[in-house]
Amino acid sequence: MTGLTTNIGNIELRNPTILASGVLCNGTILKRAAAEGAGAVITKSITIEKRSGYSTPIITGVEGGLVNAVGLANPGYKEYLSQDLPIAKDGEVPVVVSVAGRETEEFMEICIEAEKVGADAVELNLSCPHVEKRGLEIGSDPVAVGRIVKEVKGALKIPVHTKLGLSDNLQNSAIAAQDAGTDAVVAINTIKAMAIDVQARMPVLSNIYGGLSGTAIHPIALRCVHELYSNLSIPVVGCGGVKDWQTAVEFLLAGASAVQIGSAVAIEGIKIFQEIANGIKLYLNEYGFKNVEEIIGVANG
Amino acid sequence: MQEKIFDPKLESYEKEILSYKSFKFKPSKIRKIVGESPRVKSFYLEKQMKCLTRPGQFVMVWLPGHEEVPMSITDEGEDFIRISVSREGTTTSELHKLEIGSTLFLRGPFGNGFSLDGKSFLVVGGGYGVAPLIYAAKILSKNNVRCSYIQGAKTKSDLLFLDEVKNMDVELNLATDDGSEGFKGRATELMESVLDTREFDFILTCGSEQMMHRVVQLGVERSIRAQASLERYMKCGFGICGSCVLDPVGLRVCTEGPIFEGNFLLNTEFGKQKRDLSGSRVTIDDEKRK
Repeated sequence: MTGLTTNIGNIELRNPTILASGVLCNGTILKRAAAEGAGAVITKSITIEKRSGYSTPIITGVEGGLVNAVGLANPGYKEYLSQDLPIAKDGEVPVVVSVAGRETEEFMEICIEAEKVGADAVELNLSCPHVEKRGLEIGSDPVAVGRIVKEVKGALKIPVHTKLGLSDNLQNSAIAAQDAGTDAVVAINTIKAMAIDVQARMPVLSNIYGGLSGTAIHPIALRCVHELYSNLSIPVVGCGGVKDWQTAVEFLLAGASAVQIGSAVAIEGIKIFQEIANGIKLYLNEYGFKNVEEIIGVANG
Repeated sequence: MQEKIFDPKLESYEKEILSYKSFKFKPSKIRKIVGESPRVKSFYLEKQMKCLTRPGQFVMVWLPGHEEVPMSITDEGEDFIRISVSREGTTTSELHKLEIGSTLFLRGPFGNGFSLDGKSFLVVGGGYGVAPLIYAAKILSKNNVRCSYIQGAKTKSDLLFLDEVKNMDVELNLATDDGSEGFKGRATELMESVLDTREFDFILTCGSEQMMHRVVQLGVERSIRAQASLERYMKCGFGICGSCVLDPVGLRVCTEGPIFEGNFLLNTEFGKQKRDLSGSRVTIDDEKRK
């Protein structure tokens, strides 16, 4: 019997596929993603205040991926946590609340409430590439990362995951997060990018800059995870360009304990979670592995 | 889950195989502009999509420098598609200023579309809601399917596509709130009298959500299956952002909709609640009516 379960610290997942933050977003669709096979779901990043996000266009297709600048649209943490989270939890898989903020206090306030209403973990979004002072600026500063993680971790009993983006400081920030007590590092977020329309002769996104996700960033994300696995002793979760069981297994082999899936939902539909989980299972069977754990990091030294 | 609304006759029109580039804008020149009412203008656009569209589907339309908005497809020919724009806010006002030869940027077509597989249809449109219905009526008429078409509006000048529908093989029924044309009263009141005299397999409806709710209920009372075209805030149009979610079922109006079965909708937030741009819930009664 081949097992698909995997663990991120003390959170057990029935399979290693996770709905990434910012995709599908609302409680009832998170529940649906769980029903359609996701091993865990991450909420959209929630903030202290209600945000309508940027004007459209907020997303566009490019060669090999999507570029988006949604602008952290969310109804504010109070409404989201009181109304969307309980429905997401009906999906009966771990629900991780993604949190965005400017100051440590904002992260604390939201995380404490998330724990109170039953979040299985929080994911600190320290990597949004398109909202000023609420993401990558924090995540690429190891001192800031360490400070926020330490405060949040000290106030919570549930696990604290840290989502980091591509920057020259990724490894140092991850080490700082680990030293501050984070339970897992998620890498990577979208990569700051843009799209220009040649006929309109204008940037496509209203925010001009956004974040690139999808197939194009997968090899970069894979390298990041490979390095993180070498440098850290805590679990790593891979995110970036997973579109089928092969790209998922690549992350596992590089050292990820689980994989997050986002953009590919636009192409493959919500059934992608079950399809990838099935594909991983066939792969494990084919090569005689008993469980997911046996392949984590085997392509890493 | 609702039964799939899908027209087997149109199966060969299946979407092109998706890739990320499917979600890139494609330029489309305006070939012809027709004023439909003081508030609504139709734009005939060069067809840039490879596939055929079906009534009920929509395109995302971007006017550079302004917003991107979802627009029902209101007609299609060999080499054009038509959208009909109601002047509501800044972007639609800017669209109204465009001239023949201007370029719009399109993604799509998206959404499921109406199922037109049946022997008799009652089409009920309120105000600007007739936009996707006129295209459905055209296909029904072309396929020699019996069709009664009810259009309601505030006043005579708000009635849309009248010349067009008069040329179709459909039974036309008009209602205006002020009685300036046809029946004086609501489209749903006129619908009741039509239902008293004739039988139908299906109802197609689009308009305000309160109106559609009533239409669906009238259908349910007579065991006629209704298909309603829903409107929610759409930011992406292709099922990734989640902003157009239909609660509590977690379906995406842009992808699993915008056409849903009436019976199914009665067990959802339909007619009661929707979400705003932030994802916060708003009561439909409270919403300012356009």
